[in-house]
Amino acid sequence: MSGRLANRLMAAWRRLTHFGRASTFDRELDEEIGLHIEMRADELQQDGLTRADALARARREFGSPLHVKEQTREAWQFRWLEETRSDISYAARALRRNPGFAAAGVFSLALGIGANTSIFSLTLEFLFSEPSSRDAGTLVAMRVGGNSHAHMKHYRFLRDASLFAGLAGSNEEAEANWRSGNETHRLHAMRVTDNFFGVVGVPLAMGRPIEPGDRDVVVLSDRFWRNRLGARADVIGRALTIDGRPHTVSGVLPPDHRTVLGFGFAPDVYLPASRENDVVALIARLPDGTSLEAAYARLVAACRELDKVYPPEWNPKASWVTNTEVVPVAGLARLRNLSMVPFVAFFSMLLIVVGLVLLIACANVSNLLLARASTRRQELAIRLALGAGRRRIVRQLLAESLLLAVLGAAAGLLLNLWLAAILNRVELPLPIPVHLLIEPDWRLFGYAAAIAVASALVAGLLPALRATRGGVSPALKRTERQVEGHGRLRGGLIVAQLAVSVVLLTMGVLFVRNMTRSMTMSPGFDADGAVWASVRLVPENYPSEEQVRNLTSAALSELRALPGVEAASVARIVPLNGNSVRGDMVQPDASAEPVLVRFHNNEVGPDYFRTMGIPILAGREFAPSDRKGSPEVAILNENLARRLFGDRDPVGRTFRYPAPNPSAPISVVGVAANSKHFTLGEENPMALYSPYSQGAGGNLTPQLLVRSSRPAGLVREIAQRLGTLDRSAAIEVKPMRSALGFALLPSRVGAALLGSAALLGLALASIGLYGVLAYSVTRRTSEIGLRMALGADGRAVLKMVLRESGALVGWGVAIGLGIAVFATRPLAMFLVSELRPTDPLTWLGVIGALAAVAAAATLAPALRAIRIDPLTALRSE
Amino acid sequence: MVTQSDDIPELLPGTLYMLVLRALSRGPLHGYAIARRIRDTSANALAIEDGSLYPALNRMLVKGWLKAEWGTSENNRRARFYRLTAQGRQQLERETKGFDKLVLAIQRVMRTA
Repeated sequence: MSGRLANRLMAAWRRLTHFGRASTFDRELDEEIGLHIEMRADELQQDGLTRADALARARREFGSPLHVKEQTREAWQFRWLEETRSDISYAARALRRNPGFAAAGVFSLALGIGANTSIFSLTLEFLFSEPSSRDAGTLVAMRVGGNSHAHMKHYRFLRDASLFAGLAGSNEEAEANWRSGNETHRLHAMRVTDNFFGVVGVPLAMGRPIEPGDRDVVVLSDRFWRNRLGARADVIGRALTIDGRPHTVSGVLPPDHRTVLGFGFAPDVYLPASRENDVVALIARLPDGTSLEAAYARLVAACRELDKVYPPEWNPKASWVTNTEVVPVAGLARLRNLSMVPFVAFFSMLLIVVGLVLLIACANVSNLLLARASTRRQELAIRLALGAGRRRIVRQLLAESLLLAVLGAAAGLLLNLWLAAILNRVELPLPIPVHLLIEPDWRLFGYAAAIAVASALVAGLLPALRATRGGVSPALKRTERQVEGHGRLRGGLIVAQLAVSVVLLTMGVLFVRNMTRSMTMSPGFDADGAVWASVRLVPENYPSEEQVRNLTSAALSELRALPGVEAASVARIVPLNGNSVRGDMVQPDASAEPVLVRFHNNEVGPDYFRTMGIPILAGREFAPSDRKGSPEVAILNENLARRLFGDRDPVGRTFRYPAPNPSAPISVVGVAANSKHFTLGEENPMALYSPYSQGAGGNLTPQLLVRSSRPAGLVREIAQRLGTLDRSAAIEVKPMRSALGFALLPSRVGAALLGSAALLGLALASIGLYGVLAYSVTRRTSEIGLRMALGADGRAVLKMVLRESGALVGWGVAIGLGIAVFATRPLAMFLVSELRPTDPLTWLGVIGALAAVAAAATLAPALRAIRIDPLTALRSE
Repeated sequence: MVTQSDDIPELLPGTLYMLVLRALSRGPLHGYAIARRIRDTSANALAIEDGSLYPALNRMLVKGWLKAEWGTSENNRRARFYRLTAQGRQQLERETKGFDKLVLAIQRVMRTA
């Protein structure tokens, strides 16, 4: 068997080498034939014929040289290739004769394929992009002791254990203050260990990477170099003032740089992690052939050693071995990580949704092909009668849909490139720098080719088989009007299309309602009258906590002195803009057993609740007297108060953290109303507030908050006032409303994507409905004419068309709703809790939208039907 | 591909390949010489239309049974010579065996019928 395959491959190879020497081949064949005839003639002449007779006879014996040459040439050609070529040129001619048909088909498929490839590109970028590195396949991310980041001393210990071909670290959450002119900007920095570039193998566009021993150097991203430094070619070697010290620019990254984190995460600069209190996420280069299991075993062994030298600070009895992980940074293996589940689910849903859009588009093309097959029935019948095989004709018809699909895919890819260019330029309202870098690559083109072929088959096979079914004679005899089966099939397709678009529409309406609900939903605090000033202090300039405290209170007094400011406060984390989740054992004084709770833990200053507009339901706010050294106090939100103290009044009661060492009792001084903390969609979050100066006084990134009657007008003034306090501090001021952008992003993205998919599906389905009704009216022109001649009035004719449309739409909606009820159930995970997929309002919206569009699609054919003139209609028969 | 004059029997399909392979088994020949060899060895009982030889030769080139090279003919003209490859020899063996079996079977049928 394999021998035969090898022979076939060799034969194909010989045929391939024949390409390109066609003219030599023809010349040589001519020579050979000429020689043959002459030799034969020579022989005949020797037998006694005259030269002329001998030549004539030799030619006769040889047969037609043209025919021989044709057949000889064919021996070298790929037969299927030749047939395909003729099929395609036939199809091209057929399409050119029917430009309207071709345009409708290509348009439908372009939208379907464009939507599919675009979502595919997005999926590739988010889930499957590879970091810019040498051989990403042998890079792994590691966690020890369940911590995402390791301290420098732990990192150094593990690095020096030489477990792998290299171990480096990076901190993606680092920030840096860049002094430029009179302003200080906060930069998103990736702080990396000095061997990071070497271990990962990050390619550079210019200059050299950060190398072992380097301090105070910086590697710039292409975006930063272009947008902030004017893309100066002489940037290498120049100094930038970062965190108050000059840093030499050593290199610039290429524009297509992707970090090891993926997700389009794009820091402005890379800096060396040179401070002792830096923390880094670990990344290792596995030696060739080392399995993940082997790497994990080595890491666990090293963690045991680490336990001896540096027992875990949080609990000396714990071990670094617990929750130790080795995860590949690229490829499918990355997706198995639990934290990726919502992303994988979301993109899977998107791919399914655009797949449905494509199905609707294919159904449109199928319908067009069916309509055309009816008009071409006699042509096909004649060709069948003339001896063309059914397979051959089916192939030819398929070539036509393939050509449509290829043109549709080409247009769809253009659409994709255009969308990608827009998406790449989008500035997302995120607290972390994310810039999409969607680039066409072979995977995209492969995918486009695959779905083009698939849609050609899906759209074309049924019509092609239908058109050639039933043999020659019945087809020749039947007229176009009598082809009953087609009508039913086309109606069925429309019902299917409408059903699918009902499903899409349901999802779209759900996500749009989710967005409007999120936007109008109260986050539990009053965002409208508040301004948020985010400050980042340079660590080197604030060696003691005291200095940070002084700066923070000076800033607050500056803010309170501004005219129009009603209240000002400080917090470690601004709600919905950072994760403050903490899971811990809490021991309330009222119960014997400690309870394990997951709560949001934020440190907030005096007046925080007044500034944020969060009602205090019992007790009091924090006061300036709740400072470091004074008895520890806390404010709980309602949910946590109920969890810890039940129906008892919590104010005045105490709790403590029992582990690892029992803490001093902390007394509850107040209960605040529930509000949102991390996402708008979260349900019943529990929260615990601690006084800012008791827990976060030394925080270098204080978040200042201001309540005012004129928030927008204050933004500039606040920035200026704070800027005078410390020139090296980076300050960003924005109205609180715009700070909600991050929280609203998921619902906006969901609404935009699914809303457009739903509109696309609905538009395609309505075009399909229109097509079928219009065709049906045309087909029945004489029937309608006859009815009118027999006394039917406009209303009766209208009723006839509406009945047809109504039946299609009714079935489509019924089936679609039936499916949607089940299909939308899993979507609850993406929706705010108040919105259930089974909400009747959604169904009403879907039915309303579909009915409106269906009515519009019915209007034109219905009008045409009642305007039919009985005389003309009957005469045309 | 095959002449059907009154007195000359029709070739069985595929036989042409065997005849060509057979003709080339004793050494390389050019196209016309192959045609003559077939005619001579069958004492004119099997004749093929000369032209049909060339598509067959080229199909065999594609299959890898033959190789072709330009050389000089007996009367000093540039001619294309075909020779058997190892694969071609195997094919000849296979076809001869198959053909013998077929002929035997036909003879048996003709005798018993």
